[in-house]
Amino acid sequence: MSDHFTHRVLPYDGVEEFLGGTVPFLSAGVEAGDRVLAVCGTARETLLRDALGSAASAVEFTDAATWYAHPSRTLADCLGAAGRAAGRGRRLRLLGEPVWASRSPLEVVEWQRTEALLNIALLDTGASVMCPYAATLPAAVIASGRRTHPETVRGTRALANPGFVDPWTFCARCDAEPLPAPPPDADTLPIDARPDLYWLRAYVTECARQTPLPEEDLQRLLVAVTEVVTNALRHGEPPLTLRMWTDAADGASALVCEVTDEGRWPPGAGHGLLPPRPAGTASGGRFGLWAVRLLCSAVQIRTGEGGTAVRLRHDLPRTDRSTCTEREDFHAPGFHHLPCGVR
Amino acid sequence: MRRASTTSPAAYADQIRLEPGGHAMGTSWVAERSVGAILPGDHGWLAYSGPEERGRVIGPFVHEGLLTGEKVVYVTDTPAGRLPGLGHRIDVHDHLRAGRLRVISREDACLDRSGAFEPARMLDTVEREIGEAFGQGFRAVRLTTDYTWLLDEPGRMLGCEHRLGGAVAPSTMAMAICQIDRRACPPDQLIALRDLHEVLVEVDPEFDDGVLRMVRTFAPAGLRLEGELDATRHGAVAARLAQVMARHGGVHLDLSRLGFIDLGGLDLLARLAARLPAGGTLVLDHLRPSVLSVIETVGWHRLPGLVRGAGRGLPETEGIAR
Repeated sequence: MSDHFTHRVLPYDGVEEFLGGTVPFLSAGVEAGDRVLAVCGTARETLLRDALGSAASAVEFTDAATWYAHPSRTLADCLGAAGRAAGRGRRLRLLGEPVWASRSPLEVVEWQRTEALLNIALLDTGASVMCPYAATLPAAVIASGRRTHPETVRGTRALANPGFVDPWTFCARCDAEPLPAPPPDADTLPIDARPDLYWLRAYVTECARQTPLPEEDLQRLLVAVTEVVTNALRHGEPPLTLRMWTDAADGASALVCEVTDEGRWPPGAGHGLLPPRPAGTASGGRFGLWAVRLLCSAVQIRTGEGGTAVRLRHDLPRTDRSTCTEREDFHAPGFHHLPCGVR
Repeated sequence: MRRASTTSPAAYADQIRLEPGGHAMGTSWVAERSVGAILPGDHGWLAYSGPEERGRVIGPFVHEGLLTGEKVVYVTDTPAGRLPGLGHRIDVHDHLRAGRLRVISREDACLDRSGAFEPARMLDTVEREIGEAFGQGFRAVRLTTDYTWLLDEPGRMLGCEHRLGGAVAPSTMAMAICQIDRRACPPDQLIALRDLHEVLVEVDPEFDDGVLRMVRTFAPAGLRLEGELDATRHGAVAARLAQVMARHGGVHLDLSRLGFIDLGGLDLLARLAARLPAGGTLVLDHLRPSVLSVIETVGWHRLPGLVRGAGRGLPETEGIAR
């Protein structure tokens, strides 16, 4: 693979600047025989097809809402696509405009983190990635785009991005703010030194059943909690505590399950942010925390002097009842329901 | 506890095995019991898939009876010294002399003068032996025979089995296991025969701590995991699975009753599968949708050596196809 990895941000204001950056990028890929993938909405797809002309037939278009469904899954999909292309002696050329509207603040952070992690995950694949950022986006999103992309596209040139931040430093900054304290009436279960996690799962199940969490998500929650508690029992410091509550602080309601211990993770512990190397390779195989991220809507980790907290979030489906503006009438004992939209 | 409404006797409804979620297992209202848990009144059924499975059920059935002062009656033409699954664990001749073990030839037990199967004679034999054991002061009597030789006379066998159930089930001291070689029996006949029994007898579990239960399966060779598997039980699974893998190239896990497996458990299975000789696979059969969904999230490609096998959830012909 002679081509080296690139990850460029394309700031644009209007259709002309969008096409001015993306069309040369895609056309060059088609000419070079790359696997060319364009992730965008239908309006952009129509624009691009018109502008590309006959070259459009060699571009695979994918719907952005589907592609950007879950940060860790999207990262794995990117890596998978890049790896498969490289395996066939081709380069992956990806045009990807992340979805920012409709994201809660917490989700925005996780997608920004994914932009940063892409630089590490795809480094050895030789893939070329371009991410258009519209001028109409919130200023903070655009500013973060400059920190997560090593290069910026200006016209037909790519310029080194002076604001680029080392991806791990960026990730650390994502986690710099302490998590909001759990509500005082969260369901709390102290975990003793050698518990049978069967009982822990029974407790989690009972708590989850007080919420509208779908049955298929319950199993994912149980697997994630078991993994986090197993890790804390092996590597953490007692006492361990499990807390559960529902949180609507971000506008979208979520079931939160937090495991805390007094230990501190060593630097470079990884936090399961990157897909593990394929099984069978020297460092490959272990997929614990990475899989936990795939099993949850979001995972938040804080580790330091004050101990370690791992917070697993599962989005709850919107129900008629939860779209209320007043206090919810299915308030379960020990569960903290805030009126929707309250921070 | 649910009650049976379609099968008799209803008394067995309370003994139906429940899976952890509380749902009755299988498609018919029969109890399933490991041989070590067999009780007086059980008219049990063993459709074995080979000598190993047969030996590991009938051996303990006979051995346990003799050890605990019960009477054992075996209708067979096999010499007493070569009864299945006993090996050299006990001196059968000692038990024969003491009257604790009765090995009755088919001719003496159930054939008429022309050498044909005579159901009424078999019933007489069974009733006589139960009565004799009672008279001799035994607290229980265990009866067993293999019906595979009668497969070309299905009508007579079914009639006999039906009446045998009538003789054993109400008894407070008799328990019976009817054996049949499932390989020799057409599926519809197998189902008809099974349905005449209230209890499906199987091998004793390899492991059971109330949360996880492991039972050997024989066709295909492997283990059935029931309940929940997490780090506390990884070692137990690794040890039992390694034993089975040492003897068989490809191993099947029946996961129809596994409600939970943790990530470390999946990792463990993949690591064990990697130890199989080239071409060997660890096949996961009857995965529940919830467990399957977790595996698919992790990705089968991260679990090399693990293969998705037959069916979804419960096997449809519980106790028939394993």
